[in-house]
Amino acid sequence: MRPDTPLMIPRPSQRLKRTAESNLRFILSAVIFLFATVLFLSCQKAEKDLFLKIGLPEEPRSLNLWLGTDANSRKILSLIYQPLYNRHPETLEIIPWLAAAAPEFDKENLTYTVKLKDAKWSDGSKFTSEDVLFTKQLFFDFKIPRYYSKWKIISKIEALDPHTVVFHLKKPSAIFMSRVLTAPIVSKKEWEAVAKDAQTKEKPLRSLQDHSVETPLGTGPFMLTEYKKGAFIHMKKNPHFFGTGQTMGGHVLGPHVDDILFRVYGTSDVAILALKKGDIDYYWWDIQPGYIHDLKEQDNVDLYFNKKSALYYMGFNMRRAPFNDIALRRAIATVVDKDFILTRILQNFGTPMHSIIPSGNHFWHNPDVKKYGHGLSKVQRIKAAVKILTDAGYSWKTPPLNETGEQVKPSDILLPGGKKMDKFVILTPPADYDPKRAFAGTMIQEWLRELGLPAFSRPMAFNSLLDTVKEKHEFDAFVLGYGKLNLDPDYLRSFFYSKNDKPRGWNMSGYTNPEFDRIADIQMSLTDTGERKKLILKMQEILLADLPYLPLYNPHIIEATLNTRFRGWVAKVDGIGNIWSLCAVRPVE
Amino acid sequence: MRLQYIIGKLIEIAFIFFIILTMLFFLFRLSPGDPISKVVDPMLTPEDMAHMISQMGLDKPMWEQYLIYVKNFFTGSFGVSFHYGEPVSQIIKERLGWTIILFTTSTVMAALAGVFLGKVAAWNKGSRLDNFLSIFALVCYTLFIPWFALLLLWAMGFKLGIFPLGGVLTPELWVGDTSPLVKILDLLHHMILPLMTLFIINLGSYLLLMRSSMLSVLREDYIITARAKGLCEKDIRDKHAAKNAALPVITSVGLSLAFSINGGALTEQIFTWPGIGRELIFAVSNNDYPLAQACFLLIALVVLVANLIVDLLYAWLDPRITY
Repeated sequence: MRPDTPLMIPRPSQRLKRTAESNLRFILSAVIFLFATVLFLSCQKAEKDLFLKIGLPEEPRSLNLWLGTDANSRKILSLIYQPLYNRHPETLEIIPWLAAAAPEFDKENLTYTVKLKDAKWSDGSKFTSEDVLFTKQLFFDFKIPRYYSKWKIISKIEALDPHTVVFHLKKPSAIFMSRVLTAPIVSKKEWEAVAKDAQTKEKPLRSLQDHSVETPLGTGPFMLTEYKKGAFIHMKKNPHFFGTGQTMGGHVLGPHVDDILFRVYGTSDVAILALKKGDIDYYWWDIQPGYIHDLKEQDNVDLYFNKKSALYYMGFNMRRAPFNDIALRRAIATVVDKDFILTRILQNFGTPMHSIIPSGNHFWHNPDVKKYGHGLSKVQRIKAAVKILTDAGYSWKTPPLNETGEQVKPSDILLPGGKKMDKFVILTPPADYDPKRAFAGTMIQEWLRELGLPAFSRPMAFNSLLDTVKEKHEFDAFVLGYGKLNLDPDYLRSFFYSKNDKPRGWNMSGYTNPEFDRIADIQMSLTDTGERKKLILKMQEILLADLPYLPLYNPHIIEATLNTRFRGWVAKVDGIGNIWSLCAVRPVE
Repeated sequence: MRLQYIIGKLIEIAFIFFIILTMLFFLFRLSPGDPISKVVDPMLTPEDMAHMISQMGLDKPMWEQYLIYVKNFFTGSFGVSFHYGEPVSQIIKERLGWTIILFTTSTVMAALAGVFLGKVAAWNKGSRLDNFLSIFALVCYTLFIPWFALLLLWAMGFKLGIFPLGGVLTPELWVGDTSPLVKILDLLHHMILPLMTLFIINLGSYLLLMRSSMLSVLREDYIITARAKGLCEKDIRDKHAAKNAALPVITSVGLSLAFSINGGALTEQIFTWPGIGRELIFAVSNNDYPLAQACFLLIALVVLVANLIVDLLYAWLDPRITY
């Protein structure tokens, strides 16, 4: 055989054919086994289908109340740990929950006396005032984030009897009801030993947070039965739930379902398929508008559109030029087309925002604040912005509008001193994190360029963005948002109080207005809600006049449920995913 | 093979590993933000945040943190995850099992099938079978994982309804009194679609690699010698050609197995597979330093050890290679 012959390869021999046949037999057997398994498991599933099945976008990070502060942990924990007072789902008023009645306020002695319901923990033990005292002590001993800063207004707390607690305050507080009495109460039985042990450690709070909670003890409508990490969470009806059979918040509370199964879906695409297929009854997450058309065609799916207590806005760095100039901020507010954002970016599923407090929070929202550029055409907006800027001393070689009032490409804007404005950057989260904010940033850039402003929208990794804006304060402008604001408007003070202009402080714009600070301080001490409301409305007026933030939009929360198995979901601000729904939802008869 | 070579290699691995250990620490500390910078919650005051940072031990000077980190490593402690509040070793243990089951199985299956089909394709070079296999392999190789995975889920999970839409088990079956056999079958049932996705995606590269390697081996003189000796075709193909042609595939499998530790975050995400890939992405994006460091250290260790094993396997498979 010549050296080059190996390339002439012969056909497979009979022996090779026999091997191939044997492989084929093996593959066929495997396929038959596979189909038998699939058939068998399909039959198994059909037998047991009495659970309310809820899809989550991510797994809860921790079932330890002090660590599990992410949205998904909160969903589970909010069904277990309960506060003394809760918000009415429709009116949003604060109503008694674990408390038996509204608190008695003694103005002279600054005390709130709270009567407790005759409730029980999920293990059958009694819920008493000792648990409330213990919870307070826990907040103080460990300086528990989110709670301690609000509870430290309490000078003393005492239990008159097992069902009466008296809170002594250091000074009058407007947020006592909304931020203190709505905090979850934990069981002394569950946490006492853990707390004692944690106190002995070098890092007590971390030790408390790292404590593994297998079966959380709560007073809520459901209790945790099994948590198989990476797979599912099984909750059962709490037989000792204090609300069962009672009418609260306008609803007769159950729970009317015995079991809830939570499972995670890594992407919304798959979760939507699972909903349409009937694998889950509800996907506890905000659905993107792109899915709506498909879901509307499904007879077995109901869609819910609700307002959110959210704020998406453009912030300015008022610590430095050019955004320390109010005329420039007002001109920008005038050219930003919120209707475009609503129709093109939100696809009409949302509302344009004009005040800092969203309209869904109807009690505190001020609808009469200044609405820049509202109802104007594009040319009218540019004209109004040009007037603001010209009056403030800005100029152009070629203005954005020519002599006949038509829009033209302007030259670069010149500052009041005649100097060319430096380029500035609008930071946004990246499109894969939030396409709406990224796209809004790009559109704002275009609108500002039409005014001759050298704006550049730049997406930045969310971590870096917050670090730059909140910690280092090295920015010009940014587009950010709060997806779930508390219904108490105290956040106005957090965001704009001059003392909060510090690294990690929430006053990211560096806003300073002594008048605003004064009103913010006064409203904090008002216990009369009507009086406080007047000041909150005033604060919104001031903010919209000064524009440290330009409110942009508030997307609706869009949710979907399967309508063939359960009904009775309770819609409120922030959607149907709430404790009221899970107490009211019942099987379809 | 000299023992000295192996010892030398192990020392080299230890040295590289320590450099990686140090680099990881500083890379995470120097990246923007910290474990709580991503929290957008107005209820958290700056004092709360400072308290949380101090409780995580991140208020200490960096050199002190580094010494604690190195000390912890040498005492076998990877620390506690900032976000889960669980020991990192426990999180990795829970997640790694799922990753190994899925990714190692798919890699090994794809490699075996790739070696077999690549061998057949090369042996039948120019035939219709070869053309079909080559085109099939190219299609597999260029598939976009998320698209393909979603397509499989839609077709086989939603439309046909024969497979579950992700996850690792059916909760309804597991909360009741279900027999262990049914539970095992349920796990296998959930594994089929992700396994199929990864198998098809990986198969293409192994098939093409094996085919090209086999074609070059078939030109070697020792194949002619084997034919001249009168050996049967099967022996020439399997014992003489395929064994040598499989060397590059083994290297590739070795490295793939190592990198399968971090899994395919995309595949895990779409199939809601609770593997370590998703955790790694989570840990990095949320600055969960202990978890992210431990995941990367694990990957580094496995890559280093896999390289050593591949080196040793080479010497065993190819007598021409000696150390």
